[in-house]
Amino acid sequence: MLVIKNLKASINKKDILKGLNITIKPGELHAIMGPNGSGKSTLANVLSGKNGYEISGELKYQGESLKEIPIEERAQKGIFLAFQYPTEIPGVNTNNFLRTSLNKVRKAKGEKELDTLSFLKLLKEKSSELGIDEKMLSRQLNVGFSGGEKKKNEILQMKILDPNLTILDETDSGLDIDALKTIADGVNSSRDKKKSFLVITHYQRLLNYINPDFVHVLSNGKIIKSGCMELAEELEKKGYKKIN
Amino acid sequence: MIENFKINSNEIDKIKKISKEERDFRINNLNFFNEKGFPNKRQEDWKFSDLREIVQKNFKKLNVNKVNSKVKKVNLIKDFDHNYIEVINGELKSSNFKYEETNKIKIKNFKNENFLQESKGNPLICLNHALSDKGYHIEIEDNYKLKKALIIYNVFTEDLKENILNSRNKIKIGKNCELHTIELVINDSKYKFINNVYENIILENNAVYKNICIQNEKNDGYFHKFSKNKLSSKSKYSSFIFPSGSKFNKLDLEFNLEGEDSECTLQSASFLNKDDHQEIKTNMNHLAPSCKSYQKVKNVLSSYGKGVYQGKIYVKDIAQKTNAYQLSKALLLSDNSEFNSKPELEIYADDVKCSHGATSGNVDEDSIYYLMTRGLNRKESVKLLIDGFLSEVVDMIKSNSIKKFVRSKLQRQIHGY
Repeated sequence: MLVIKNLKASINKKDILKGLNITIKPGELHAIMGPNGSGKSTLANVLSGKNGYEISGELKYQGESLKEIPIEERAQKGIFLAFQYPTEIPGVNTNNFLRTSLNKVRKAKGEKELDTLSFLKLLKEKSSELGIDEKMLSRQLNVGFSGGEKKKNEILQMKILDPNLTILDETDSGLDIDALKTIADGVNSSRDKKKSFLVITHYQRLLNYINPDFVHVLSNGKIIKSGCMELAEELEKKGYKKIN
Repeated sequence: MIENFKINSNEIDKIKKISKEERDFRINNLNFFNEKGFPNKRQEDWKFSDLREIVQKNFKKLNVNKVNSKVKKVNLIKDFDHNYIEVINGELKSSNFKYEETNKIKIKNFKNENFLQESKGNPLICLNHALSDKGYHIEIEDNYKLKKALIIYNVFTEDLKENILNSRNKIKIGKNCELHTIELVINDSKYKFINNVYENIILENNAVYKNICIQNEKNDGYFHKFSKNKLSSKSKYSSFIFPSGSKFNKLDLEFNLEGEDSECTLQSASFLNKDDHQEIKTNMNHLAPSCKSYQKVKNVLSSYGKGVYQGKIYVKDIAQKTNAYQLSKALLLSDNSEFNSKPELEIYADDVKCSHGATSGNVDEDSIYYLMTRGLNRKESVKLLIDGFLSEVVDMIKSNSIKKFVRSKLQRQIHGY
């Protein structure tokens, strides 16, 4: 699904990723943990195609180099990034936005665009799975949403767009236990042998609910250790400084 | 190039049936205009919109003669039931109030009554005083609430060419009345022309007036409107304006809150591009206690679009418990677009709540990034953000059918971006 080899990324001449390697196969869920400033969010941005980064190394998604592919095409090809801080978009109705977005992705895949009725049916089904109040969907996108609502809305978008590779950028931060469980349920119910996940997080908390296949420790722009769930537990006990 | 554009007084003699008094008044105003000419940036009110320069640059000559246009049938909108009047090049041609008790509504052609009003030194108002001889005059009898909205089809014909039109409209809404109007500008003109309007709107006690003005087709017209609005006690005035698409458009709006507990709301959304030049100037005069006013002006500007908002709130010493608010927001899409905002507060009462705000800036890159990660390309993302920015105003319209209609008009314009 995703092959990253010796990936380096810098912004404004500041090196952030310094030779990162990771391979994610279809059906796998990888977690990346790391202290503040280790390059976790940069990795998420580089994968989604955000402008402004100088990049070298190999970055392949489904066998194709991502480097020259613009942001929206990556999304259309099935890469989804759940934001750490979802942006508020005043005046844009959440509902309409979700439909526009879905139809862009469907169109790119060569599928038929969904009409309003079929879309609303899908939306109702997915939002009730996540326990999202329908009223939220008629509001302006992320405007005035609580922290939990914003993150749930990200997961709802993931559910609707049905991507092949999902990157969760600290989706668990700032959530209460119930919201955390909802997010985890959302992820777990989307997992199958074709779909891959990259979960970026500070804490073990979310991982307890979603059982990653692999856990990596990112520090100073490199993966310094890889393992499975035990590694996350060890980190939680000892802290990042002791892992080397 | 027009240097020293002057109008001969025999133009006034072409206007039929006027008294000596009225003739003198018109001559005086014409002399004032001929002496001052089109206003330029040296006048404070015109510092962002130098009309003299604009006229000199764009007109070789100007024709004050009446246009006798053959008008094809106006395409009435079918989106919702409505009463209507048809106004062609400023002249009232027909009216239809089939949903109403017609004895409650008076509609007339231009009338010279109440004519002798001061012009406050604006040469364009003087020009209008001197030459206007057409327009509509609507009066709603006390205690009558219209059942359907009134659409004013304001048509400009294709044979207009270097004409300067002067018209004068008046709407008087009686006590406890309610009137909703939608002014729809239909511009078939192919050449440049100037339209200079004087408007007078009077709300008697407890009257409710809601008005939506839609003028957003691309055109070669140069527009100036002075609007004088009187709000009596407990009256409510709400105005939505969606102007854009003109080479020049200045709306000079004066609201006089003369009666206690009156309320005035003005909201506008404009998309200005390709050399559009537009100014909204307001004078919100709080002249009595416990009145409320609210103004929100939103502009999106691109490719040499220029926008101006000069909003003044005046609070007279007796106007205690005033609550006045104004906000201007501008979104600039290109380096060559320009927005000027000049808020002014002049307050002589001590127990008031007055506030204003103004922001202008580029489209937020984080928002564009967010939308692009959801499969929209850059242009689609920017369009969606513009749409959202302007929709905040449209969303405040209560009637769903009218809201839908306005939205479709606005979206067509944004899609041209």
